[in-house]
Amino acid sequence: MPTVEVDLEDLELLLGMQLPREEEKLNEVLSYIKGEAKGLESKEIRVELKDSNRADIWSVEGIARALRGYLGLEKGFKNYQIEGKSGVTVQVDPKLSTIRPYIACSVVKGVRLTDAAIRQMMHFQDKLDQTYGRNRRRTSIGLYDYDLISPPLRYGVAKPDEVSFVPLDFSEKLTLKEILEKHPKGIEYGHIVQSFPMWPIFMDSTNKVLSFPPIINSNDLGHVTPSTENVLVEVTGTSIETVQNTLTNVTLALADRGGKIYSVKIQYPYGKIRSMTTPNLKGVPLELGLDYVKKVIGIQFTLKEIRELLGKARYDVVKASKNSLVVKVPCYRVDVLHPIDIVEDIAIAYNYNKIQPQWPKQLTIGGLSSESEFRDIIRELMVGLGFQEILTFIMSSPEVLFTKMNVKPQRTVEIANPRLSSMTCLRNWLLPSLMEFLSHNTHVDYPQKVFEVGYCVVHDEQKENKTCDIETLACVAIHSNASFTEAKSFLDALLANLGIQYTLKEENHESFIQGRTGKIIIEDKEIGIIGEIHPQVLQNWELENPAAAFEININKLRQHILSKP
Amino acid sequence: MSQLRENESKTLIALGNAGRRLSIDEIAHSSGLDHSAVMRAALSLESQNLVLVKERRSTKVVLNEEGKLYADQGLPERRVVKELVKMGGEGDIDSVFKAASLGESAKVITLGWLNRKGWATIDKETKKIKLLKEPIEGSDEKLLSLLKEKRFVTLEALDDELKDAVEVLKRRKIAEVRVETERELELSTAGWDLVKRGIETVKEVSQLTPEMLVTGKWKETKLRAYNIQAPVASTWPGKKHPYLRFLDDLKKKLVALGFKEMTGPIVEISFFNCDGLFMPQDHPAREVHDMYFIKEPQHGSLEQYRSFLEKVKKTHEDGWKTGSKGWGYAFSMLEAARLMLRSQTTAASARMLISEDLEVPGKYFAIARCFRPDVIDKTHLTEFNQVEGIILGEDLTLVNLLGVLEKFAKDVAGADKVKYRPDYFPFTEPSVELVAYKKGYGWMEFGGSGIFRPELTLPLGIKVPVLAWGLGVDRLFMMKAGIDDIRYLFSQNLDWLRRVEMV
Repeated sequence: MPTVEVDLEDLELLLGMQLPREEEKLNEVLSYIKGEAKGLESKEIRVELKDSNRADIWSVEGIARALRGYLGLEKGFKNYQIEGKSGVTVQVDPKLSTIRPYIACSVVKGVRLTDAAIRQMMHFQDKLDQTYGRNRRRTSIGLYDYDLISPPLRYGVAKPDEVSFVPLDFSEKLTLKEILEKHPKGIEYGHIVQSFPMWPIFMDSTNKVLSFPPIINSNDLGHVTPSTENVLVEVTGTSIETVQNTLTNVTLALADRGGKIYSVKIQYPYGKIRSMTTPNLKGVPLELGLDYVKKVIGIQFTLKEIRELLGKARYDVVKASKNSLVVKVPCYRVDVLHPIDIVEDIAIAYNYNKIQPQWPKQLTIGGLSSESEFRDIIRELMVGLGFQEILTFIMSSPEVLFTKMNVKPQRTVEIANPRLSSMTCLRNWLLPSLMEFLSHNTHVDYPQKVFEVGYCVVHDEQKENKTCDIETLACVAIHSNASFTEAKSFLDALLANLGIQYTLKEENHESFIQGRTGKIIIEDKEIGIIGEIHPQVLQNWELENPAAAFEININKLRQHILSKP
Repeated sequence: MSQLRENESKTLIALGNAGRRLSIDEIAHSSGLDHSAVMRAALSLESQNLVLVKERRSTKVVLNEEGKLYADQGLPERRVVKELVKMGGEGDIDSVFKAASLGESAKVITLGWLNRKGWATIDKETKKIKLLKEPIEGSDEKLLSLLKEKRFVTLEALDDELKDAVEVLKRRKIAEVRVETERELELSTAGWDLVKRGIETVKEVSQLTPEMLVTGKWKETKLRAYNIQAPVASTWPGKKHPYLRFLDDLKKKLVALGFKEMTGPIVEISFFNCDGLFMPQDHPAREVHDMYFIKEPQHGSLEQYRSFLEKVKKTHEDGWKTGSKGWGYAFSMLEAARLMLRSQTTAASARMLISEDLEVPGKYFAIARCFRPDVIDKTHLTEFNQVEGIILGEDLTLVNLLGVLEKFAKDVAGADKVKYRPDYFPFTEPSVELVAYKKGYGWMEFGGSGIFRPELTLPLGIKVPVLAWGLGVDRLFMMKAGIDDIRYLFSQNLDWLRRVEMV
């Protein structure tokens, strides 16, 4: 969820109106853009924006642009003009085609950048790089002081130790290779270019380096300050569309600060694309059926109403017929993929809270899954036997599953990116979770009797997801007189109430006392284990009372019952 | 005047018969009651002003283990004397001690006492011992035999000679002295009056037995009244886990609203958890800090979903036939087969949509364990339950979605007022957040919902609108249970589970 730091006064200046300072009222306004204000007590508030695709509003300029429509201060498509050609050209090297093929630029002149505005710009740039630019893999942005640059420009390649320049916030020259090793941004983003023999470089006609995309700008040219009047904006990336979209959004934010936009000519050496003028600020027409609006929202709007609502959401209607409209989508609305996105904007502009809700008429018959029904029977019986139900995590560790249980390590479903050493794999049996629980409760009144019906997961090559979820029941009774006999009496009671006859087969299992352990067998099928817990296991868990337990595969139990005539 | 209990009557009678002040032990002895029963009766009688309880401090003298041995066998010096008498008044030290069954360790001390008491002389040269006289019983020996007979004596009751002997035995470390508070009972005037009028003893028992019932003896038996205010030992019922009970209840309500339960696996294929939900493969929310991936094997098999997979791939790339632009990137089949822990219950919805059992119209819900690499704290768990559902059918609209949310808030959670806010999910459009107001709790975020995007439904072969919703059940439960720490949902605290109220 992108978060934008907003100076409320700055926002009000861009909006041209006062905003409520009371949290609830302010959030009502911000809900139009799926935003929520946090930290209202400080001058700079944080606005959390839920939409991770609407890159246009991750800046205070963009927020103001959108809100001016919803608040009725401005209506419809906002036409941003290109003042003219900047005369700058960028020549692209064909070797970039497999590295980072696309670039788009603009020049914005006459901007008035305060410190706050520059900070805003940096945040915006960062958010675009992170989210829309996929951590600079898809797109990355550079801003330069236009007056220090000598066009024409060249977007080319260089060997890692061929070129050196002073990167942003450094005072000495580094080669590209050294930047990857020493500069924080080089360390962070170096992986994007590392595998290539040649790396992207952006230079002017005097061979001064502007930047090393997508890693870092030059400290000399790529440094925007309050004294910067004219800015060159550059975006490089792997998709021509997202590169252009990103350029549009940065350029418009600068234009909202009073800048005038000038175009740049890009000369591509690749097959189809030869030459291109950026930025492209034209709206994109999209057809919208009136039926479709009604089908989605459930309200029959008149054409006039829809026009009105579209205007609030800053769309223009360029053509209208009886059944459909052609809507002009602003160039900055990079999130609009489908007419459904426009329909949502109509509903938001109308206001969800004005809609009269209606429970769907369709009649359907509800029901629990057969797994749930069976699980509930088991749980009811265990509660009846006096056991307290507990709930534990499915994620576990070999320490808990094997070491403390006195058994040899087994193969488990392991997590590639664990966060905690106590949660590195999925449990393959349930009893250890119960033992762990008991170990936290040695100060609580005994006798203690606990159970859980929970999932365990094991490898299974036959399954599409290569694993199998096993639902099991485990229970333990622990107190000064706990014994195998007691556990068996519980097992008897449980299975008798399920109409199941079972046998026990002597078993050696290191978690249990030898001679007091058995496999639980139903019609030749092994469904679980019962036994008195081995003193070593009790000691491992720092338990000072004897304990007896059993664990049963509920899936197998249920299948057995279903298979009976 | 209240009727006396059996033990109280017996106590009064014992005091009446004795006609004097008696100690608890004495009453226990003469009434046949045990010590604690007399104590209880005494307290009750005192509260009825029938007896006076006097406390008296006394010093008790008892023998320790060695002392008891000497009391039985005699003091070692006495045993040596007895042997010397048999030997004719003189003998070899070693043989005398051997005859007296005294070990080497007792030799020095015993010889010392023989000398000190002036009973015998010892010739160190010849190692011979010679009896001087046959001594009479000393005061220490008298005390020893008294203690042997009575088990203990009260210091204050002894004459001066025996009092000195107590000191001697103490020094020899064979006797111990303890100061004790002794309670004595004495009849009050009212008590005397009652005893003189005659006390009727009713037989009382505490436990009704099968024997009494079978023989009919219970009719002549008085069941003793208990102090019903007295605290009793705790007992803990078997109970369902409070959070699971809450979810059970929620399931019942959903079933009553016409929802069928759906399920899905814990280890999911990316296709169901992400790709099929139109989440682009390079989306930042698909990275390692948002999902747990499986170490080995890394990929599952999508063989049986080939036809769906092709359409999903095209939809991501260019929109396919959905009317969408798509995400405009090269979709990786391998990435779609990546194995991970289910991070959202919507994965179960995606599976339901392609299931042969799917009914249209239909309502489905799932309660599923989900996993995200969060750090565990007061408000975050890395493993949690999500409740989610879908409703599909012709003509379902945003109006109906809000209707579903309103019903959940009011009927399921008992909210008083609801509000809807625009929301965002990668797989729904429009998306709505439900905010509900409940008296005493204020406004709270309650759940998210939306209509599945055409880019999700069409590639999966669904031609009707699908309303999807998720409820913030954790928060709802915490509110109900009055807890502010989400870790209680997986509480390792048995005491809390035992005590938490069920209503």
